Amino acid sequence: MRLLLVEDEQELAAQLIRRLQDEGFVVDHADDGPGGLHFATDYPVDLAIVDLGLPGFSGLELIERLRAGGSRLPVLILTARQAWQDRVAGLEAGADDYLGKPFRMEELLARVNALLRRVGGWAHPVLEAGPLALDTRSQSASLRGQALDLTAYEYRLLAYLMHHPQTVVSKSELTEHLYPDDSDRDSNVIEVFIRRLRQKLDPDGDLQPIETLRGRGYCFRLGADRA
Amino acid sequence: MTPSLQRRLLVVASLVLMAFLGATGMALDQAFRTSLIQAQKDRLQGFLYTLMAGADVTDGELRIPDDLPEGRFHQIGSGLYAVVLDEHGETTWRSRSLIGRELTVDRVLPPGERDFYLAELNDDRLVGLAYGLSWEDPEAGRGEFTLHVAEAIAFRVQERAAYRRSLWGWLGGAAIGLLLAQILVLRWGLRPLRRVARDLSLIERGDKSALDGRYPREIQGLTDRLNQLIRGERERTERYRNSLADLAHSLKTPLAVLRTSLEADSSRPPTPETMDQIDRIHATVDYQLGRAALAGPPRFGESTRIQPLARRIVDTLPKTRAGGPPEIELVCPDEMRFPGPEGDLMEILGNLVDNACKWCHGRILLAVSSRRHRSGPQTLRICMEDDGPGVPDSERERILQRGERVDESRPGHGIGLAMVADLARNYRGTIRIDRSPDLGGARFMLEIPMPH
Repeated sequence: MRLLLVEDEQELAAQLIRRLQDEGFVVDHADDGPGGLHFATDYPVDLAIVDLGLPGFSGLELIERLRAGGSRLPVLILTARQAWQDRVAGLEAGADDYLGKPFRMEELLARVNALLRRVGGWAHPVLEAGPLALDTRSQSASLRGQALDLTAYEYRLLAYLMHHPQTVVSKSELTEHLYPDDSDRDSNVIEVFIRRLRQKLDPDGDLQPIETLRGRGYCFRLGADRA
Repeated sequence: MTPSLQRRLLVVASLVLMAFLGATGMALDQAFRTSLIQAQKDRLQGFLYTLMAGADVTDGELRIPDDLPEGRFHQIGSGLYAVVLDEHGETTWRSRSLIGRELTVDRVLPPGERDFYLAELNDDRLVGLAYGLSWEDPEAGRGEFTLHVAEAIAFRVQERAAYRRSLWGWLGGAAIGLLLAQILVLRWGLRPLRRVARDLSLIERGDKSALDGRYPREIQGLTDRLNQLIRGERERTERYRNSLADLAHSLKTPLAVLRTSLEADSSRPPTPETMDQIDRIHATVDYQLGRAALAGPPRFGESTRIQPLARRIVDTLPKTRAGGPPEIELVCPDEMRFPGPEGDLMEILGNLVDNACKWCHGRILLAVSSRRHRSGPQTLRICMEDDGPGVPDSERERILQRGERVDESRPGHGIGLAMVADLARNYRGTIRIDRSPDLGGARFMLEIPMPH
């Protein structure tokens, strides 16, 4: 998952980026309104965390411009202004959630995960598809109640696919969303990870959770009756 | 309480008017009486000449023929009488109208003098004129006589009564007319003051932001000052709030840095006490600065329409709920008003709705109504209900106190409801927690007395 952090307080931004990267997110950072808008519109981010008081133009205006441009990118406001007037104004501008500073890191992560799930239509922190369950809180997966031993990359790959069920996801989209800019972008790496993931998820070959669409990408199809 | 301006002016004006009209009436009455008397004198003088013209002295006695032009002298009891006395006061002649009546006159006047007097005959009041005259006759010699003419004044009295009736009738009518005119003039004259009062109450209700009408020069100074005062008050409140918000902002950002950097240092995990202290600083900043920024009931009572604001909150806040937005019912008549600024109402509704969203299973109800107790002011009632687990009896008191949070596992540091309770107290209202009769969860009932 690729996050955009728009925060002008450098110290806080650096800590947040470190922590979010530790959690397996790819993080882009902008420290003013125009920069944030540029990242949000031109980069394949999955969610934006926006401070309201920004140089250039305010976070509120950033969100308004983003929504005016037709973007449905989930936005979480992170601000020290905690009056209800500011919250309501932020949500009216098009933000999806609101968190006041200072905050507990776990709470920020919980809200980010909740927002990401909501986009995929999942209401609970545990994403269930047939016998497969993905727990976004503990960042673990289980099959028929048995915990799966996934590496961090494998988990992120599975999480991204499960957050976009019934959707064709291209290899380039996966690299963009799961790897930072400076990482190896060889698409063969993705194929390797997909193959390993399939072996772990479906050792007997009777579930076929990830379908390969030649030349187009992959599609997570398990538990389609979930609707 | 001092009587209203209109009443004062009206009372004083009525008194002056009554004194003035009374004096006018008396003067007119007096003038009429004088003219009546003068007319009576003129008539008697006329009768005197009539008598003298027909008079004749025979054998030293003054005789008056019976064919006088004025027939009433011959008609018995006609009310017009004449008597002639000689120089010794002996009656020498009586008009026929005196037959059967005794009119005692004894005044004897020297020639050329006259005198008016009042007399009585039977029950009639008479006005009399005595006139002394001398008669020179070559044959009869010189004689002195006194001629008395008297006329009953019954008709005159009636005339005067009629005059008085009509006089006082007209004066009374004029007085009523003038008073009515006075009331109208006063109403018109005091209208600008009434308009100022009305505009002030519009400002109180929040329908107007300043006295923006055109007022007469005399009170323009007053309204200008009031406007300055109102504007100054608003600006001051605004500045105050902004600097508090800035203060909160500049305290909370370093706190966030402190917190995240402590959490980020995996080699030396923070002690629970450290985190606890940070939480306490955070809660104190939120609560004290948040509370200080609340305006409370404004001096220049502005008020806020509730419905649009409640709608905004209900449309935005619930979408942040972790389990998806609950089903929300908002019942709020259009005309409902909160007797304070928007920020305070936002704080109340925001905290209540947020709390309900946090705890409900899927349904919340926000109902705003107004009630009038038999004795006492109108009360605004804000009811927030949910279908969650409710608040146990033992916790009800506690969660309204500052910094208390019943369930530590839910986000927020529990100052929201304490803030609402504080606000309720600021507005001399109450907050009560019980069980929602319809939804089964908690019900927060806020009651705030309305001004006026």
